[in-house]
Amino acid sequence: MKTTTGKTYWRSLDELQQTAEFRDFLHREFPVAASEFPEGLTRRRWMQLMGASLALGGLTGCRWEEEKIVPFAMRPENRIPGEAEYFATSIEIAGMPRHLLATCYDGRPVKIEGNPDHPSSRGASDALSQSTILDLYDPDRSDALRQTRGRQSFRRSWQEFEEFAEQHFGAMEASGGDGLRVLVEPTSSLTVQALLRQLVERFSKAVIHTHSAIPRDNQLAGAKLACGSSFRTRYNLAKANVIATFDEDLLGLHPDALEHSRGFATGREPRVGMSRIYSAESQFSITGAAADHRLPIRSGDIGLLLAHVDALVRQELSERDKSIQLPILSADAMKFAEAMVIDLLANRGQAVIAVGPSQPPTVHALAFELNALLSNVDKTVYLLEDPTIIAKAESLAELVEVTNRGQVDTLLILGGNPAYDAPGNLKLAAAIAKVKTSIHLGRREDETSVLCTWHLPETHSFEAWGDVRSWDGTNCVSQPLIAPLLNGRSAIEVLAHLANDQRDAQQIVRDAVSRSLSGNLSSEAWAKLLHDGFHIGSELPVEKVGPTLMTDRQRWIQAIVDAPRSSPELVYVPSESVLDGRFANNGWLQETPGFLTKLTWDNAAILSPKTAEQLRVQHGSVVKLQAGSSSVELPAFLLPGQAEGSIGVALGYGRKAAGKVGGDQQSGVDSVGVDVNPLRTSDNLHFTSDFEITATGKKYEFATTQDHHAIDTVGLEETERRVGDLVREGTFKEYQQHPDFAEHRTHHPPLESLWEEPKYEGYAWGMSIDLNKCIGCNACMVACQSENNVPIVGKDQVAKGREMHWIRVDRYFQGDVENPSVATQPVACHHCENAPCEQVCPVAATVHSDEGLNDMVYNRCIGTRYCANNCPYKVRRFNFLDYNENLEEANRELVQLVVNPEVTVRSRGVMEKCTYCVQRIQGVKIDAKNDRRPIADGEVKTACQQACPTQAIEFGDLNDNQSLVALSHADSRSYGMLSELNVKPRTKYLARVRNPSPLLEPAAATLDTHHGSDHGHS
Amino acid sequence: MLAPKRAELHTTFAVDSSFLRTVSHSQRFHFPDWVNRFIPFLAILAITAVVYVTVVLAFGTSPYTTNVGYSPKQPVPFSHKVHVGNLKMDCRYCHSTVDQAAHAAIPATQTCVNCHSAANPDGSVANSAIHVSSEKLLPVRESQATGESVEWQKVHDLPDFVYFDHSVHVNRGVGCVSCHGRVDKMDEVYQAEPLSMAWCLDCHRNPEPHLRPQEFITQLDWEPKEDPVAVGARIRAQCDINPNTNCSTCHR
Repeated sequence: MKTTTGKTYWRSLDELQQTAEFRDFLHREFPVAASEFPEGLTRRRWMQLMGASLALGGLTGCRWEEEKIVPFAMRPENRIPGEAEYFATSIEIAGMPRHLLATCYDGRPVKIEGNPDHPSSRGASDALSQSTILDLYDPDRSDALRQTRGRQSFRRSWQEFEEFAEQHFGAMEASGGDGLRVLVEPTSSLTVQALLRQLVERFSKAVIHTHSAIPRDNQLAGAKLACGSSFRTRYNLAKANVIATFDEDLLGLHPDALEHSRGFATGREPRVGMSRIYSAESQFSITGAAADHRLPIRSGDIGLLLAHVDALVRQELSERDKSIQLPILSADAMKFAEAMVIDLLANRGQAVIAVGPSQPPTVHALAFELNALLSNVDKTVYLLEDPTIIAKAESLAELVEVTNRGQVDTLLILGGNPAYDAPGNLKLAAAIAKVKTSIHLGRREDETSVLCTWHLPETHSFEAWGDVRSWDGTNCVSQPLIAPLLNGRSAIEVLAHLANDQRDAQQIVRDAVSRSLSGNLSSEAWAKLLHDGFHIGSELPVEKVGPTLMTDRQRWIQAIVDAPRSSPELVYVPSESVLDGRFANNGWLQETPGFLTKLTWDNAAILSPKTAEQLRVQHGSVVKLQAGSSSVELPAFLLPGQAEGSIGVALGYGRKAAGKVGGDQQSGVDSVGVDVNPLRTSDNLHFTSDFEITATGKKYEFATTQDHHAIDTVGLEETERRVGDLVREGTFKEYQQHPDFAEHRTHHPPLESLWEEPKYEGYAWGMSIDLNKCIGCNACMVACQSENNVPIVGKDQVAKGREMHWIRVDRYFQGDVENPSVATQPVACHHCENAPCEQVCPVAATVHSDEGLNDMVYNRCIGTRYCANNCPYKVRRFNFLDYNENLEEANRELVQLVVNPEVTVRSRGVMEKCTYCVQRIQGVKIDAKNDRRPIADGEVKTACQQACPTQAIEFGDLNDNQSLVALSHADSRSYGMLSELNVKPRTKYLARVRNPSPLLEPAAATLDTHHGSDHGHS
Repeated sequence: MLAPKRAELHTTFAVDSSFLRTVSHSQRFHFPDWVNRFIPFLAILAITAVVYVTVVLAFGTSPYTTNVGYSPKQPVPFSHKVHVGNLKMDCRYCHSTVDQAAHAAIPATQTCVNCHSAANPDGSVANSAIHVSSEKLLPVRESQATGESVEWQKVHDLPDFVYFDHSVHVNRGVGCVSCHGRVDKMDEVYQAEPLSMAWCLDCHRNPEPHLRPQEFITQLDWEPKEDPVAVGARIRAQCDINPNTNCSTCHR
């Protein structure tokens, strides 16, 4: 066997440098204390407890438990007990519209998926929207109204609040609502906007303020500079041959990321053609990892890079104006810009230049102008009216100012948690405390509600009526999937009450949406809208502004050149797990490893190895960040590919009143991560050079999953040698010359079995994962966790290597430490036909089905873990502890509602792993059998496949040679991971193809096509 | 090798230990002589083991353990014998989702009330109403009035890790009677079959004797006119019935 790739991959810097910690980690079969009993319990104490519970079990377990059947007194029409029903709905997560399909059992939503009919979702979803279902059943949500008077607080009912509101707001009517301020999150909801207008009608002096911790205002301001109006930009990546991003994560945290991901995948089909992606960014984003060329560059320098690109474009078009001398950037950056410009010019009208929300408006304006110059506008880049703009809304800073002047009597905060996520310089908490009557509507009693005189529990988006507009402006409706679980009301209901609107919430939403659709919606049309979740053809018209673009270029470039660009810089980024902190109490997201850092349950100061060396900081040493009078301490995390001199910190951590998961000071639960909002200032929310960083000398332990499942030194060397075989990559040129390059990465002796191989007739389930499309976004991980009742284990357990995810996303770096390329690879059980795990199980708890599934039989498993040891893919997960303990107890009433009834909840001592979503296979199979027909291709969709925004995963019957999965397996890029072990995996990968610019990439290494006669390929 | 006679046991041990000493030249632990007194107990232990295994196997598979005959007291003494046996009602009148879903669905109170509605407040009675003032039907009338469910006792209770689906059985030739017995003869429903995994597998491995034409699925007293196996084989071929015995068919 030999490897023909010259590439070396590594998983972490520790591994690359073979640090003492890593070697120590390797020498233990399991990470520290993995085989020991949980802390706080000595072995003896544990045995006593076990003994006691066994004795009790013996006494009570003599007879079967008697169960009751509680049928409806009157069963709702069309309701079949225990069968799934599907409802379309839409939600907005911090301004990101997400169009969903909820699976409900007996009126209880259990699983969230993308709405397959919606043009912006097409069935795809992301980790955040998958996780919203866990938020719905969060026991830390508030369930009561509370009024604070002085130091005392009282539980109140909604009736009491209504009485108070009638009196309080009635008295304000005379003065026209002088001193009334309303703070809302920016929203595209027509209903909320209409009700705010109604409120201003009732109280003419009331003022609306908007606040978002992760705003996209700069882009709107840039559009205003360039086009004279605050337009929103929409990109069509499917039509773009060249995509250039500047600090913009088009595929990750962009509100329209799902649409972008699908477009990206469409443009990256090697058989048809390959787009090329350039990404210049300071922090590693999902887009950057997927890019063909990535330039790590400080956020402060990005504007200048774009100015250089602009100058080069004009030079090529012989329009160069020499009035402004641009400061020179590094040689790498200039080379990057030159290559990009050549491609941009060669693909006029088929390129996209996208700038991220962190960049100042002038940079956005320059990008608008450049897109117009290259005739991309209206072809791949569209401008449209921004539906989130609330007329005359003012900012949070203005609110604080008037409050401090004592001009605010009543402050109504609808949703959001400004006391936590407002920039530190505003001192919002002190300002709120000055307001006589402050009312906070929120899902939990958080940092904001403790400051307010009234706290009102808010419904979850799945419990209330509402509406959302897609990124292209399509009207979508949210419908309640379940009655409010915890006595909450929605912002719409509260606003309607305050605006003296007597209609019920459904009617208000219906009226608002009807008005937008210019007319009265008939009952049939409304029913169809609810059924579909959106109104087809209601997207906003594309604004034709191309020729009227203003050319203030000189001024913008001057502003860019004049902006301070010193190093180091501190960049605030939304967390991919908890976003701006709203998901802090969501265990699924907290435990999802960062797509690149593989860090769980934490944020960190992320810096490049070179910067760390300059600052004399090591991985895991705590640094102090000081800006003005505020300072925070957080651990340093060394990440290859971070721009030199750029320190990235994730927002959304360090919550003090999030709940039992994310941190709750009152009940003594430590915060997860560190809150960096105190460092932020309202004039630059995104990055700053105005700070100091010092080492504190303290050390910190991270819980990352990046080095997990390494075997031992010998195993590691072997793994290292084979990474090129595990994740196979080639260039587009290589692909065109040798479409089957992936197969030739490994050569091995012919594979022969010692025994006769079973034949698979009927269905033969298999999976194909296209690495060329995988962007490593983690949507599959959370979808799997939700579908398969995968437990949350907590930070300590993750640090011990006990995370339970059935599908993990492996990430490998390759190349230069300061600018590596990244490969991501989702790995779940491969359902080997010749499965090594089955051969070592002493109790036949893992056996093969005649459809080729590697079945895991929980009630047979005795927990020897032999199977996990013998699994070459390391995808088996062991329940070291009873992670679902007491699920049936009364105080976990809410939590147990999230459990998928179609999948067994596993207990302690049992091995588990990916089942290819066997419950879905069985469900479809039973339907097909009842109808006496075969299963159609595409009918069975696994949870990961369904969630995938790029459709990288195919699943189906391999015996049907026209099925998509069989075609993928037959593709020239297809290869089996470790199939040289003759395990015959049912999951195969399609090799990744990069499309580097000939200017930046040295000629591809010639492929070793040496062939003997007596070897095989895989 | 034959076991040494009882009288020789002592010496055998002694020889053995001296042999070890010569080989290893070290002081090895060997059992003291008085241990030999316990050797007869080994025989007792062996007998106990045999008895234990027999009892466990017998008990584990006995109808007592598998709950055959289990007939809990229901809140309403509903008689299947009257409704199905005498009145000839079809099973699906009440268990209406049996051919569409995993659950056969215990009927909503509304279904009972179709015939057993309470008298109106003015004392008048709907035409169809039967037993309007029966005390036994009190829970049904209460449920109708309050909207609270009647809490029935579950008779056929599979373990929670078993995913059984009614629809795929009744739509493909397995009659109700195969698993539930002659419900039309039961005043109070009891569990007629063991519902154990071995019992499930018997049929999954050899389905022919249990298959019947689709029109007789709910007819509990149906008997084939010819050899049941021949009928089953014909239906099996017609409907392409190949029951799975994979673990994941029922456990997932």
